[in-house]
Amino acid sequence: MSWKSKLTPYLLLIPTFIVIIIFIYWPAAYSFKLSFYQESFFGNRSIFVGLDNFKDLFTDTEYYRVILTSFIYSFSSVFLTIFIAFLISQLLVQNIPGTRLFRLFIFAPYAISPAIAGTLWSFLLTPTVGYLNYVFMELFGINTDWLTTTPYAFIAVMLATIWKMLPFDLIFYIAGLQSIPDSLLESSMIDGANLWQRMWKIKFPLLSPITFYLFIMNFTTTMFASFGIIDIMTKGGPLGTTTTMIYKLYLDAFAFQNNGSAAAQSIVMFAIMGVITFIYFHNVEKSVHYQ
Amino acid sequence: MKKLLVLLVVVLSISMFAQVTIEFWHAMSGWRIELLQNMANDFMKTHPNIKVNVQYTGSYRDTFNKTVAAVKAGNAPHVVQIYDIGTQAMIDGGIAVPMSDLIEEDPNIDQGAFLEQVTNYYTVDGKMYSMPFNSSTAILFYNKTMFKEVGLDPDKPPRTYDELIEYARKLQKKDSNGNVVRYGLTWPTHSWFFEQLMAVQNAPLVNNGNGRVGIRPTEAVFNSEAGKKIFNLFKTMTDEGLLLNTKREDWSGARQIFISQKAGMVLYSTSDVKFFVETAKENGFEVGTAFLPKPDRSTQGGSVIGGGSLWILKNHPKEEIDAAWEFVKWMTEPAQQIRWHLETGYFPVRKDAIEKLLAEEFYSQHPNYLTAIMELLLSKQTVNTNGAVMGVFPETREVIETEYENVINGRKTVERALNDAAKTVTKALERYNRVFK
Repeated sequence: MSWKSKLTPYLLLIPTFIVIIIFIYWPAAYSFKLSFYQESFFGNRSIFVGLDNFKDLFTDTEYYRVILTSFIYSFSSVFLTIFIAFLISQLLVQNIPGTRLFRLFIFAPYAISPAIAGTLWSFLLTPTVGYLNYVFMELFGINTDWLTTTPYAFIAVMLATIWKMLPFDLIFYIAGLQSIPDSLLESSMIDGANLWQRMWKIKFPLLSPITFYLFIMNFTTTMFASFGIIDIMTKGGPLGTTTTMIYKLYLDAFAFQNNGSAAAQSIVMFAIMGVITFIYFHNVEKSVHYQ
Repeated sequence: MKKLLVLLVVVLSISMFAQVTIEFWHAMSGWRIELLQNMANDFMKTHPNIKVNVQYTGSYRDTFNKTVAAVKAGNAPHVVQIYDIGTQAMIDGGIAVPMSDLIEEDPNIDQGAFLEQVTNYYTVDGKMYSMPFNSSTAILFYNKTMFKEVGLDPDKPPRTYDELIEYARKLQKKDSNGNVVRYGLTWPTHSWFFEQLMAVQNAPLVNNGNGRVGIRPTEAVFNSEAGKKIFNLFKTMTDEGLLLNTKREDWSGARQIFISQKAGMVLYSTSDVKFFVETAKENGFEVGTAFLPKPDRSTQGGSVIGGGSLWILKNHPKEEIDAAWEFVKWMTEPAQQIRWHLETGYFPVRKDAIEKLLAEEFYSQHPNYLTAIMELLLSKQTVNTNGAVMGVFPETREVIETEYENVINGRKTVERALNDAAKTVTKALERYNRVFK
């Protein structure tokens, strides 16, 4: 092989690398650097503070609470989303008239932006004039300030997140269920497996690669993309009970102009995601069953 | 055809060179976007050599952030509307052309033309940095019709904390299950009102003369008696079901509650007088306005102006700065100020504008527009009523709001919440000051 053809693949990769470097590696390296500095708001003054930004974070009991909130929020909404999506997808692959139309409606939340989803839920849950609140009032005679009291605000944000994330998981599960050969299910029926067994002993293991993928995708979404819904619905309140790590990062960076601390937080988040992904791929993937 | 096109391009580009273009960023949402655009259009009609690009850049916070980003990237706008609490940060950024410098150079204008109570806010260490434009204070709006219904005198709004509680008790309504279906008072759960109520008591938020004596503040002092009185009032009213707290900084939520008559009174900004008066009429009730309540009648303080001001940013060619100044000056002229005042409720910042409206007997027909102005004019002028100046103001608001929520949810006592808040703010002040050593 001539040197030219050896070089070709690298040449072809260059455009991709340029894009990745500009939009991912360079900003990442920059925030790494920034985490050791403190900058004035307009960037006209900057001092090296060593590990102070990290020290401030980890000596602040509030930050541990934020991490805990993030974990509870992420794990429970991911678990619930996957569970509900798995159940609903079973229904959506039955050939019942109107399924297609129903699928269309249930996919709608995925197509709208988090900001709109947040606004929608805020309207529904407004204490005095919200529709959902009205329903609760009429049915049970209770009037809850969903967005301003604990623990309801946390539940409301979680509900909206699940509602928003569900269609994504549904698409994958439906596609997965449709690719399971009928012969497998038929033979299991002949062997006397009931509905429950078919669902958890056959379909679930067969779909485990999908579940594996969805977990990581959903987890990333809740960790990093939950900002829109939280910002619109609760702004991290009440009492900071809906302040997740990404929302605190947003506040420090874009509300309080505290770039150093925000950069340090992004490094912490990066580390947490790295550790979780590592553990996940090393321990959980063994139990995933690829066809 | 081609020649004609070339000619057209040449002519256009020549005429464009003769024109100075300036960028104007603002944070006024809703119908005010169109209003500001129309005002800019009128300006361009009378000043054909200046082109103003008006850009709505989102909330105050967003506009501030975009300004920070634009300054860092080297393409800052010429004129930008920044919120009151961004003042110290803008000064520390060293990016502004101070207004008092421009006023001094311009023989056609005198700083005395502006209300001192307004310019005092934007004057730090003897220099007026930005041009007050949309100034407002907090006032109490109340439902006169509802006052009559429960036997209260509609011309006697509450003046003290005790009266506020007493009135709210009368306005409150419960259903057969004991659920509150109508509240006495609501508000946007915004730290701005805490700051205002501190000024009413002539109490500072931070040390070093509320940050106004040329030294950056180093310590938060709002955990004083005055601060406790405010928190106690709100806690008592919340516990009794007299006060409906909206979610944090939810202006439209509070407005909606008051308009739909789920609450008889609302703490709000004068910026929406027009909206309240008109919408209330559509909903069949009459609105009154009053000064902010104080702990007792003997308390003497005042109100702090809030809202935004116009900043002219450095690093532009001289002719563009001149054009920007021309525009800012025009915006504060009486005709524009009156238009802005009547369309919104923000009060005029120039004395001659108020004179003109008085002469036209506007205020005798529309007394609600006068409340905020009188509240401000009757304020004792001290560093406390001129408003705190500090770099970490946005963070301070967040801290105060969080601790307020801790109080109404029964997680912390008033005393502990305020002490914790002050401690956090002091720490933030130390961090901020570190860069400027």
